[in-house]
Amino acid sequence: MSRGSGPARLPAAAAPPALEARGLCRRFRNGRGAGPVDLMVHPGEVVALLGPNGSGKSTLLRCLATLTRPSAGSVAWWGDRDRTRARARLGVGFDVSAHVEEASGLQNLAFFAAHQGTGSGVDRSRLEAVLAGHDLLAVADDPVATYSFGMRRRLLLAEALCHDPDLILLDEPTVGLDVTAAHRLAAGLRQRAGAGAAVCLASNDTGFVERTADRVGFLDQGQMVRDAPVATLLAELGTLRELRLRCVGAAPIDRLRRLAGVATVAATPDGVVLTAHPRDGLVADVVQALGDADRVLQDLQIRDPDLSDCFLALVGRPLEV
Amino acid sequence: MARRVGEEGRAAERAIRRTRAPFPRWLPRRLTALELLATLARRRALAIKLGFPLVLVVPLVATSAPPFFAGMLLTVLVTLIGAVGTGVTVVRARGGGWLARLAVLPLSPARVGVELLLASWLVDAVQGSLVIGLVLAWRQPAPLVGLTCWLLVLAVLAIANALGLALAALTDHPGETMLGLAVLLAPLLFLAGLFTGVPAAGPRAWIAVVLPFTYLDQAFQLVLGGNPPSGAPPSFALAAAVTALVAIASAAALGGAVLRREG
Repeated sequence: MSRGSGPARLPAAAAPPALEARGLCRRFRNGRGAGPVDLMVHPGEVVALLGPNGSGKSTLLRCLATLTRPSAGSVAWWGDRDRTRARARLGVGFDVSAHVEEASGLQNLAFFAAHQGTGSGVDRSRLEAVLAGHDLLAVADDPVATYSFGMRRRLLLAEALCHDPDLILLDEPTVGLDVTAAHRLAAGLRQRAGAGAAVCLASNDTGFVERTADRVGFLDQGQMVRDAPVATLLAELGTLRELRLRCVGAAPIDRLRRLAGVATVAATPDGVVLTAHPRDGLVADVVQALGDADRVLQDLQIRDPDLSDCFLALVGRPLEV
Repeated sequence: MARRVGEEGRAAERAIRRTRAPFPRWLPRRLTALELLATLARRRALAIKLGFPLVLVVPLVATSAPPFFAGMLLTVLVTLIGAVGTGVTVVRARGGGWLARLAVLPLSPARVGVELLLASWLVDAVQGSLVIGLVLAWRQPAPLVGLTCWLLVLAVLAIANALGLALAALTDHPGETMLGLAVLLAPLLFLAGLFTGVPAAGPRAWIAVVLPFTYLDQAFQLVLGGNPPSGAPPSFALAAAVTALVAIASAAALGGAVLRREG
């Protein structure tokens, strides 16, 4: 897995940001919502909003997508606050994939293509090529009502992206996608960003965000707690690798601490969590240490630090409960 | 990496898909066409929708039901045909997230409102035309009277659809929409003189003049052989035209509220 896809491309100095939110705030009567938040997305840049459920990602994205008006603050698209003009250049995919269920995937796509300014309008061959790119060609003429959840999600993405939008706004884009489709989406978004499109995602999928985004904004309880390039965030975490062990009987914590490269060892209700600098033979040494203490290893999980660790370090709570 | 399918492969897949494609297969450019397509694809529901009014209409025209009573029932039936479907369908579309998707498209709210109205009205017009067609075939009134009555049916269907849209803009649950329709339509139909006739003078007489239901009720009574208290076919045709225009203008004005797009 490629991580932190390098430094964010710098925008041309004269070009206005594709999206600029200043003091953006949207609060509901129950006090929940998002903001105030400052956010900027330049052409060619992929920015992800990452946060737990209820952190305000979708609320923020709905404001950025022109659906809801902020309670305070402002949003400008290419330096222009006119929502009607902005809509012509947006590609939006919300977390709910609503379609006209009785119509086929091709017919639903044709409607969106016709209204989103594709040059060729509803040309059947072009629409079929779009569906083929999302592995939906075989079911193109089937009613959407017969589609699986994942197929509906892929159709939603096809509709959001069919007109090569200048600004792509996607809410939880990997929900319902299999691994192959998620990888294809990540590659597709990177390719579109490479061609000059700006992308803003709201997601909980740290792996997808690491593969796709240049920059991440961490949201917690409606507030932007950190906004930085992915590479910077991961570099700040260091390179410590995490090993979770479970064995029969009490783990030999002191013995594990003495192993070369081990930084921390902590007992948990499920076993032991050990952090160490990656080196050849580390796992073998851990297994040997357990064996020397007459302990039988039951389970071992190895994990490199990711954006969820960044969130934990920043907020003190896990990204996913 | 995206799977690449060449034109040849797509043509072959297209040939296979044709054998199991849903009806109809055209590619819709407009919201009206997409909504209409969905209605046509629900064949059983469509058959029930088109057939159920006839259950009421056949006994009404085939027997010697008093024209006052038959005209009232037919007017109520036409109004409900127009109002119920639109309101509930739009509220369900909002609940499912469809309207939010429409709201972020570069479409003007007025256009969305009119296209939603048009999609419902086209199907209702077929349904209403079956009703009026049966009535006219059975009673065979003068052609001008029959034509005027048919135009009024179409116009009342349009304004009833607009009322359905208005309620869909105010409510978030289909049950709420139905209740709202009952609360709204009952007094309007009463003021149109459906239950008691229109008084010769006074505020109720003036209100009845501006309600399209008044004209439809009286047109039905003319067709069914009754003695309507006022009006003549030319003024009824004018009422139909004004009603249709008000319906379209209302739908255009309601588009933003229906979408709940904030700006």
